[in-house]
Amino acid sequence: MFKYILESAGDINWMAIFALLTFFTVFGVSLYVIFRRDKDFIDHMANLPLEEEAPQPNGRAAVN
Amino acid sequence: MAKLEQFSYDNAIVRKFAYASIVFGVIGMLVGLIAALQLIFPSLNMDLPYTTYGRIRPLHTNAAIFAFVGNGIFMGVYYSLQRLLKARMFSDLLSNIHFWGWQAIILAAAITLPLGITSAHEYAELEWPIDIAIALVWVVFGINMFGTILKRRENHLYVAIWFYIATWVTVTVLHIFNNLELPVGMWKSYPVFAGVQDALVQWWYGHNAVAFFLTTPYLGLMYYFLPKAANRPVFSYRLSIIHFWALIFIYIWAGPHHLLYTSLPDWAQSLGTVFSIMLIAPSWGGMLNGLLTLRGAWDRVRTDPILKFMVVAVTAYGMATFEGPMLSIKSINAISHYTDWTIGHVHIGTLGWNGFLTFGILYWLLPRIFDTKLYSVKLANSHFWIGTLGILFYAIPLYWAGWTQSLMWKQFTPDGFLAYPNFLETVTQLIPMYAMRALGGSLYLIGVFMMVYNLYKTVRTGNFIANEPAEAPAREVYVAHKGEYWHKWLERKPIQMLLASTVLILIGGLVEIFPMMLVDDNVPKIESVQPYTPLELAGRDLYIREGCLGCHSQMIRPFRSEVVRYDPNDMQYSLSGEFIYDRPFLWGSKRTGPDLHRVGGKYNNSWHYNHMYDPTSMSPGSLMPPYPWLISDDLNASQIAKKISVLRTLGTPYPEGYEEIALEDLEKQAKIVADQLRAEGVEGENLEQKEIIALIAYLQRLGTDIQPVPQAGN
Repeated sequence: MFKYILESAGDINWMAIFALLTFFTVFGVSLYVIFRRDKDFIDHMANLPLEEEAPQPNGRAAVN
Repeated sequence: MAKLEQFSYDNAIVRKFAYASIVFGVIGMLVGLIAALQLIFPSLNMDLPYTTYGRIRPLHTNAAIFAFVGNGIFMGVYYSLQRLLKARMFSDLLSNIHFWGWQAIILAAAITLPLGITSAHEYAELEWPIDIAIALVWVVFGINMFGTILKRRENHLYVAIWFYIATWVTVTVLHIFNNLELPVGMWKSYPVFAGVQDALVQWWYGHNAVAFFLTTPYLGLMYYFLPKAANRPVFSYRLSIIHFWALIFIYIWAGPHHLLYTSLPDWAQSLGTVFSIMLIAPSWGGMLNGLLTLRGAWDRVRTDPILKFMVVAVTAYGMATFEGPMLSIKSINAISHYTDWTIGHVHIGTLGWNGFLTFGILYWLLPRIFDTKLYSVKLANSHFWIGTLGILFYAIPLYWAGWTQSLMWKQFTPDGFLAYPNFLETVTQLIPMYAMRALGGSLYLIGVFMMVYNLYKTVRTGNFIANEPAEAPAREVYVAHKGEYWHKWLERKPIQMLLASTVLILIGGLVEIFPMMLVDDNVPKIESVQPYTPLELAGRDLYIREGCLGCHSQMIRPFRSEVVRYDPNDMQYSLSGEFIYDRPFLWGSKRTGPDLHRVGGKYNNSWHYNHMYDPTSMSPGSLMPPYPWLISDDLNASQIAKKISVLRTLGTPYPEGYEEIALEDLEKQAKIVADQLRAEGVEGENLEQKEIIALIAYLQRLGTDIQPVPQAGN
């Protein structure tokens, strides 16, 4: 049954190869790009969540 | 340095979403607890249509996913987005339209689901008018988010925002494709796809609802709130980028693992398996990145309940994303599918990952926007422990139940007969485990009540800062320079980022779904499979209304144990060609009751009549709720002509003009069924007008089309 579907749905081998190639392309490109980054930039990005504290009205202490 | 600009963050919208998440969390979990108790005490179905398990279950799942987690997402996004971009939300008006629109949708769901108004697509049950409302509100959210991104003061987009963008894009695509349907009336529609195609699109959606509603936005929240709570940057920003791209690319392919061993073509199943296993890599990359963020701060985990919640949340994410790929391996799926193992698995994700991260964020965030301290750290610690125990008490009995039931289904005697031929035996065996699960759920809910009290006291002692003052330099006008690489360009250009994410998720979607549409012509046609008669169609819609698919599958897998149990005469598993007129497909995902795909002709009409009136009269000890209203209520067949013409538009080969005589045909067949019932000793006035007649007609039709001879090519 499956063989029949595969044969009549046309050549589906391209799907497996396409999936593999696109995945490795995406993965490879993101690896390449991110490791070409300079450390200052990475540090800046990593610290973004920590640097936005606004001036607090009552100078309250945090919970933790 | 540029001049500092004064502005303020909108905390009012964050507070609104936080409160909504808490309220709907409590409601959603309560409904879940009721559903869990109904499996132990069927009398809790209360003999009312609105409170039966089949309608309560989707209410629970929708409330937990879209109301509790959904509002939790928006709470976290509205808080973190403003701060990461150093800008107030684009429009307070849009924020409020988003909030009230989303709550109105939840209200609509809370009304329509108990009324039995459902499209039967799991986690997308809401009917078309609500689907349109969801799309509109989602677009409002999108405009508000992108508007904020465009007016930002920080040049670069932190990785959490990437996750938010991918979430927005993918949920948009999924929602549209899985809800392509043609309305019959205000509260009824039929999906554009049928049978196998409908199944693939639904589970492509269903899986990615988990991926892009329960996971990616929460990963964004993790990348923001975990560093905040630990007061240190994420372990590896580089890893977070790889996590992002690999995750969104791979996730979108994994949907078919929900359909292993079904009539879905093998290539699609294999593709789903391969990508599911690959998913371990980015998922664990993300989990480790989260946990390693706490390096050097583990001593604080001992005392800080917020970090405790977050550590267990991230660990639960790791456990669930290890278990998921394992369940996608066909030989394991053969055991786990249709059992409580799946329910245990998803609750590690929802209770552990989503629930605990939400609680951690609430404990962190509410004291801040109320300019105060948490009322009781001790109480929050107690919440953590009772919640953790609750998760374990919830999940472990269900794993046990899943294995038990599956092995009982598959057990043969030395003589080659099923060891447990009566399905009910395999269910009653599980009742103690269901009781323990209900205990686990109760513990978890008690913890939530403790949190509600703690946060209530916190809020009472604080002063709410509706508009939190902030200042930041204006964004520098960036001049592109020679040699900059594309990713930097992408990062500064949110629209390009949006497009890149869209292309990436569409690749997986299209490659998988497009060939399935071709299969339309290639599903082995079975000559004897005919469209449903009007009465059967009406019965099928009642089956949908009552949520029967919450407990009964219609998919006999190609295992000896299944064909012997469900089709002992012909020993035939379910074939894709049998479903070509099924809009929507009703394969189901859980067997609390037996599979029904070949139930037609197995029992006589009066058996079904009595069974629906009181299941225990036919099956002593059954957990199924009674459906007395099907016997007392008249069938509303007023839409039958419209249904026939809508289905013909969609491709079901009813002859032209058939809709004009459909009602007549329906009444004729109803009379035949009613006469048979009378001959079997059932008494009742105007039997032929009752809903039960239509349901019996549908059930008796199931699986009969291919008998007696399976068609060639299968």
